[in-house]
Amino acid sequence: MILNINNKNYDIDVDPDMPLLWVLRDVLGLTGTKYGCGIGFCKSCTVLIDGNAEQSCLIPVRFIGTKKITTIEGLSNDGSHPLQKAWVEVGVSQCGYCQPGQIMTAAALLKKKPKPTIEDINEEMSGNVCRCGTYNKIRDAIILASKE
Amino acid sequence: MTEKNNISRRRFIFGSALSFAGLVSGFISSNKALAELIITENGNNKIMSFAPSIWVEITKENEVIVTVARSELGQGVRTSFSMILADELDADWDLVRVRNAEGDSKYGNQSTGGSTSIRTFWQPLRTAGAQAKKMLITAASLIWGISEANCYAEKSFVYEKNGSRKLSYGELIDKALTLPVPPTNSVTLKKSSEFKLIGKTKWNFDEPDIVTGKAKYGSDYRVQGMKYAVILRCPYISGSLQSYDDTNAKKVKGVLGVYQMSEGIAVVAENSWAALEGRNALKAVWRQNSNFSSEDIRKAFTDKIGTLPNLPANTSKFIEGVYEVPFLAHTTMEPMSAFAHFKDGNCEVWTGTQNPQTARSNVASALGISQSNVTVNVMLSGGGFGRRHDNDYVVMAAKISKLSGYPILFFYTKEDDIKNDNFRPASMHAFKVGITSSGYPSGWIQKVISQGDVSPNNPNYDVPNITNQTASERFGIRTGPWRSVDYTQNIFVNESLIDELAHLAGKDPYQYRYDLTKDGRLKNVLKLVAEKSNWGSQLPKGWGRGIAAFVGYGAYIAHVVEVSISDTGKLKIQKVYAVVDPGFAINPGNIKNQIMGAAIDAFSTALNTEITVKNGEIQQSGFHNFRWLTMEDVPEFDIDIIHTSETPSGMGEVGFPSVTPALCNAIFDATGIRIRRLPIAHTSLVSEVEKKSQISNNVEFEAVPTPFESSFKVSIKLKRWNQPKLDVSIVDILGKKLIKTLIEFDGIRYIGEFSFPTIAAGTYYVLFSDGIDSYSFPIMKK
Ligand code: FES
Ligand code: FES
Repeated sequence: MILNINNKNYDIDVDPDMPLLWVLRDVLGLTGTKYGCGIGFCKSCTVLIDGNAEQSCLIPVRFIGTKKITTIEGLSNDGSHPLQKAWVEVGVSQCGYCQPGQIMTAAALLKKKPKPTIEDINEEMSGNVCRCGTYNKIRDAIILASKE
Repeated sequence: MTEKNNISRRRFIFGSALSFAGLVSGFISSNKALAELIITENGNNKIMSFAPSIWVEITKENEVIVTVARSELGQGVRTSFSMILADELDADWDLVRVRNAEGDSKYGNQSTGGSTSIRTFWQPLRTAGAQAKKMLITAASLIWGISEANCYAEKSFVYEKNGSRKLSYGELIDKALTLPVPPTNSVTLKKSSEFKLIGKTKWNFDEPDIVTGKAKYGSDYRVQGMKYAVILRCPYISGSLQSYDDTNAKKVKGVLGVYQMSEGIAVVAENSWAALEGRNALKAVWRQNSNFSSEDIRKAFTDKIGTLPNLPANTSKFIEGVYEVPFLAHTTMEPMSAFAHFKDGNCEVWTGTQNPQTARSNVASALGISQSNVTVNVMLSGGGFGRRHDNDYVVMAAKISKLSGYPILFFYTKEDDIKNDNFRPASMHAFKVGITSSGYPSGWIQKVISQGDVSPNNPNYDVPNITNQTASERFGIRTGPWRSVDYTQNIFVNESLIDELAHLAGKDPYQYRYDLTKDGRLKNVLKLVAEKSNWGSQLPKGWGRGIAAFVGYGAYIAHVVEVSISDTGKLKIQKVYAVVDPGFAINPGNIKNQIMGAAIDAFSTALNTEITVKNGEIQQSGFHNFRWLTMEDVPEFDIDIIHTSETPSGMGEVGFPSVTPALCNAIFDATGIRIRRLPIAHTSLVSEVEKKSQISNNVEFEAVPTPFESSFKVSIKLKRWNQPKLDVSIVDILGKKLIKTLIEFDGIRYIGEFSFPTIAAGTYYVLFSDGIDSYSFPIMKK
């Protein structure tokens, strides 16, 4: 099966029921996408599939087909996505483990709504758990990125 | 080197310096400074780097590599340690790299807990920086033939004061290596006015790698030929394996082996998914040794209260009662995981741990090898909160590697992680506290009942005649350190009780606290937080504010929390004011991040979360039934740091304890309802008055829990509405919608049943409308 990830094609031979998360992490070594719960309740595994934020732990890889996957590693070549720059500027992360998922969810939001309101941000980000409690900083960073 | 490579090298240096230098012949010792050598093409040794102490290494390319011997868990230790050393060294921050120390006794105590890292390493790291700088300045003065006084250091260069010569630190290492390392007590440290990095915010050193997915946590370790393992553990708190059948498990594609071990049954596979599928296919029969439930624990604790002694004779009024706090899981964002490779009698480990030294000794004894044959490399941890003091997962990884012969990445699923956690202990606090006719405390009696793992703390204030007692009843529920440890229970109780006393005395809770201490630093944080929050000013209807303070980990902090509570009992945490006196503030921005994070941690646990037991099994299994606040629920923060010249303190834990009581005191201010049992979800915040007014003439409401778990039969009679179906929602105490359902009109009333098995016990609200008014009724899920 061929997967298009970060604009690159990967030919993989895996159990078609395997969730995308494990294909990324174990088969392809793209460990930027994180495992937090595996059952859809934390969103630390969020990737973009055709531009939409999706939980990679819930999607069997056979459902992907020709859709384009973007992971945190492919959001930009060099950390220059406005969200990545805003995160560094605002100093969001504590342990950082949830942040790839937060950034990918936010990236999908900014694509849909380049100038989100606080309510838009709260609503879109509401499923992303951060055990370290960085929510206020995440919101600040999204607002900063949306001004770029 | 491209910019990109530079960044990844800059940010991540794992293992010893030896591992990245290529043709390394080893370290030589010269007057106790170490040099890293490589053999050049013509066979000569070339000096690559210079290490005047185990804490710092300076390379030929003018990089400064700081060795950090405490674990990064999100508290910012990699950043703050590097700042401290680099400041005394006058290093260029952009040239600083960080290396995590492997577990080794030469680094002193590496246990990351009790907020001790800064307090322990503040002086040694400054000294190490100053020693290195002194050697580099001496080296320059010798090369130039001028006095040391005529040289100064700045941003990784030594300059000639009255001249134009300069040499980079990297250019000076050959000469520096010929010099003796100055004794630690011979170097002069900077005055705080001379600091260039310390005291100014530096955000997380690893942020550029975090936001690009390059940061490596324990579960991200990858190496050629590695396999993945999970374990099936006994579902009971107390039980053991009777028999198992792995026929189907072994048939799962990618499964390589199934191994019985003392902890359970391990499945090794080509990838995580195959390991999980293999585990699902295992059939195991477990023997259950006990089948108690949470209610049995409560009852046993209650039975131990007995009669508390009498308060002193000058007591004019008193209160007695019981506070209760539940077990809590850590649920770090990254479930426990470790990589281990046992080969030829040696074991190599890569993991996130709060104690690589005990990881090393535990692995050695589990494998029957000597500690010198075990290397524990420390990676980033996706949260710690005390959980990673227990290296159970590291030991399991090592054992599975030995059993299977493979390099193994072992991991817990989130469910494994919760069910096999070492919980924050539950405790019951029976109390009797009184005031004299002046309104100030006459005596304070507290008896804490737990599994033997909690004892009371005295209040932070001048309270006379304190009697502390403990009693215990063991159920075999594993407990362990959890962010702020016993303070999480004790400060909740103490600061709530001080509030109860202030109200009993008819005094203002802020002023009462202020008057009850002579400690200037405590008075100061209380006063400032009161000023900041406009203490005493009028709040909107339905709002309340509460205050609480905490002294510990070398720091002082006071919180004011503002809440609002709707007519129907829904709570919103509006605003948090915090004033912290950390002593000398090393990294102010990070201090604020920690204070904010700890507060959100405290709010989450105060509101919603608890670990409960049913028939001998832990009931919670994930973020859905052990819930943390998410973005829409977090309040606004206003945090102030008092800059003092006192010794710096640890900031990972200080922000938690006073938040819970400040919140509960605010709820009391708003409603008159005193929260004595956590989580708050156990208490309906609808006051008695409001409850009555809800039973209007227009609606009759009844919700009956069915004998079957987690379900309610609801019957609603409305005067003004008879559509075939009624829209009903279940919301939590923050008003967050959890379930939406339609119930049917049977000709007289709306009748339906709903179940919410995945939701934790506590108070929820049933919401519906008759088209004109909306109604909200509390229900209690057991
Ligand atoms: S890991 Fe996918 S939602 Fe938690
Ligand atoms: S930064 Fe640690 S979980 Fe979000």
